[in-house]
Amino acid sequence: MSSANSDTAPASPGTFLIQKERTRFFGLTLDECIKTFFGGNAVVAVVVLGLITLFLFREGADFFGQNRESLRVYRQAGLEYVDIMRETERDHTALTRYLFDIRLQALKALTADGLSVAEANAKLAAFDDFSYAYGDAVLNVRGLVSDLTEAASAIKTKANVADDRRIERDQYLAAGMTAEAAAVTVEDVDFATEVKAITGTLPFYKDELTNFGTELERVVTELPVLPVPEVQPRLERFRQLTRQYVAGFPDNVERLENWDQFAPVPLSRSFTSFIFGTQWLTASFWQDWYGVVPLFVGSLMVSTIALFIAVPLGVGAAVYVNQIASPREQRFIKPFIEFISAIPSVVLGFFGIAMLGTALRAMSQWEAMSWVPGFPFAERLNALTAGCLLAVIAVPTIFTLAEDAINNVPRAFKEASFALGASRLQTILRIIVPASLSGIVSAVLLGLGRVIGETMVVLLCAGNRIAIPDFTEGLAAFMQPVHTMTGIIAQEMGEVVRGSIHYRALFVVGLLLFFIALTINFLAQKIVRKYRISVG
Amino acid sequence: MVTSSNFQSTTAPMDSSATTTGRPAPKASAAAPAPGIGRTLIDIDHVDFYYGAKQALFDVNVKLEEKRVTAFIGPSGCGKSTLLRCLNRMNDLIDGTAIRKGSIKIRDVDIYGRDVDPIELRKRVGMVFQKSNPFPKSIYENIAYGLRIQGRNKKSDLDEVVEKSLRGAALWDEVKDRLHESGLGLSGGQQQRLCIARTIAVSPEVILMDEPCSALDPIATAKVEELIHELKKEFTIIIVTHSMQQAARCSDKTAFFYMGQLIEYDDTKKIFMNPSNPQTEAYVSGRFG
Repeated sequence: MSSANSDTAPASPGTFLIQKERTRFFGLTLDECIKTFFGGNAVVAVVVLGLITLFLFREGADFFGQNRESLRVYRQAGLEYVDIMRETERDHTALTRYLFDIRLQALKALTADGLSVAEANAKLAAFDDFSYAYGDAVLNVRGLVSDLTEAASAIKTKANVADDRRIERDQYLAAGMTAEAAAVTVEDVDFATEVKAITGTLPFYKDELTNFGTELERVVTELPVLPVPEVQPRLERFRQLTRQYVAGFPDNVERLENWDQFAPVPLSRSFTSFIFGTQWLTASFWQDWYGVVPLFVGSLMVSTIALFIAVPLGVGAAVYVNQIASPREQRFIKPFIEFISAIPSVVLGFFGIAMLGTALRAMSQWEAMSWVPGFPFAERLNALTAGCLLAVIAVPTIFTLAEDAINNVPRAFKEASFALGASRLQTILRIIVPASLSGIVSAVLLGLGRVIGETMVVLLCAGNRIAIPDFTEGLAAFMQPVHTMTGIIAQEMGEVVRGSIHYRALFVVGLLLFFIALTINFLAQKIVRKYRISVG
Repeated sequence: MVTSSNFQSTTAPMDSSATTTGRPAPKASAAAPAPGIGRTLIDIDHVDFYYGAKQALFDVNVKLEEKRVTAFIGPSGCGKSTLLRCLNRMNDLIDGTAIRKGSIKIRDVDIYGRDVDPIELRKRVGMVFQKSNPFPKSIYENIAYGLRIQGRNKKSDLDEVVEKSLRGAALWDEVKDRLHESGLGLSGGQQQRLCIARTIAVSPEVILMDEPCSALDPIATAKVEELIHELKKEFTIIIVTHSMQQAARCSDKTAFFYMGQLIEYDDTKKIFMNPSNPQTEAYVSGRFG
């Protein structure tokens, strides 16, 4: 009450007393203190997330500069040049493999006809002569490429040594030790002259290539007649492929002629070589490649398998528990499934190595299972094993969230459906599931987020082979070992030199994972918000 | 209302013999134009109903007539909704419910009989709920749903039924331009009429209405009541209501329930003007309930 008020209305004993002295801490009332405390907690959470993001960016961002530098040396030291030459040799190897495959098919057909292996091999003698001649033709080219490989890597080593020395000198200078700094001799590499030795072999390479081409042409004019007629068309196809291959030689030479040692490497090249690079090759004597594709594909494959298994299981269980199960079953099943998420993933991974991998492989070797694509497989640890275990991890997430979504469908929908003469199954499939679909989809997305970020299980069970599986084998690709984005960070982070390009590459992989997880969560939230049913 | 006087009310649940002896022969005196009007359609015969151990209906005995509107009135918890839900076996969805004594017959078929498929029953006995509950689908699909679950998916067939049902529910003119918009976008009264349209689309014989207007404003209520008048030409309607004015306005027959017992069942006019039971009189005159 203000004094002005008491002037107009004289205070009486029963006056309107609503003022009270409040306890204050640092000038804040208790209510304000509580508000500050909770607000402060929220701020800390936001700040920590911000710091993590910032740290990831700071550590990762330098990667692209360093990678660009690495690519520049790759070009200037002539490694790129030699790799162009190597393509010829590599394609020849691929063709030889095709030839082996033909032989294997023929051999299988012959032994199936009742011949012993020795007899079959004898029948294939003419073919073997042919394939030896074909394989030997490359020897001169291979020898040349091999020599040049050594030359180029010597130049690169020199450049690396010079770089190291330069850093050493700079460090001395920074520390003020001028005498020591002067003692460090830096042998600058003159890339132009050094690489002359490599590019100078071009005329010789051209000659070799011409000879090689003629030799191949000569070899394939006279195709051997296989004892198995049905394989003969493949041999015809092989001849065609060889001719195409030889016809590509001039292109190869042209690329070598147009190769510019000092063409600048754009920064975008550094970026694309990471995002679209198909090789993750570290600590190589030749050239390190940081291409994320094999890891990304690996992560994607195990996640696909996991969701393929976990979505029907999780959603099915959610529908059952919410719509069909008796209260007693509900009380039993719900905690049981939710308990799965309490199992530490390293224990699951251990189980995968010790049990599941072996069991799956044994199962794949049963005669009765041979119709499954990719069966039988030899690798115990592969994408399938890891995917199965990840499914176990995803099921509780999907189940809990989907059950929640289904539970949110108003009972009135169910009653209305029954009152129209729908059966229980019709009600579930046509009313309950569509009405909760947004919730189910977001449950699946969050399950995916859980799976793609999971590390321990994939590290232990995915087989850790850094290569894109051979998708030409169809579904069998899923039975091959893979490596994942999470797995590679866990595996390699402990061994890299801090600040090196490899270290930073791992951070960029981490960043990529972070963004994938962020996108998934964002989408899940958006779907739930957009399609939440308004109950009229 | 020709046959009305033939019905006797059960004043006390124990006094069942009085009702049994006073069974009418309504068909004999029926001279109405619509076929079957006033004939006994649903025969509720001395029913005791339980939720688990708790008895909710005590010896309810009543015959409901074809192509008439019968209103169930009574204070909350008197069992009127329970009885309504017995008629299409919606109570089956609740665990532990059972009719322990008596039977309910529709056209002389015991609907709790061993061979009865509740799904088939519910196709013949439709239901409109207290809260309008259209599915989160388009207006068209809301109505087509009842047909689709029966495997009737032919477009021309569906189009025809959708239009006919919407016209039947006096909703066609309001929604004909937005059939493919969500049913949840309609106003409360329109939603309730959509639910009625959905119910008549599967052409049931009986429509059960569980307080269909309790969530509606007076104008929407008036529209639904008008609709009930129209619908009784084709359907037998049983309506549970808390509003005595509504019962008086739109029903032909009224049953008054109290504490799980049927107190009085008679012509609506009689119930409201001159009830024979003092409890009924107390309730309809607003002295309790």
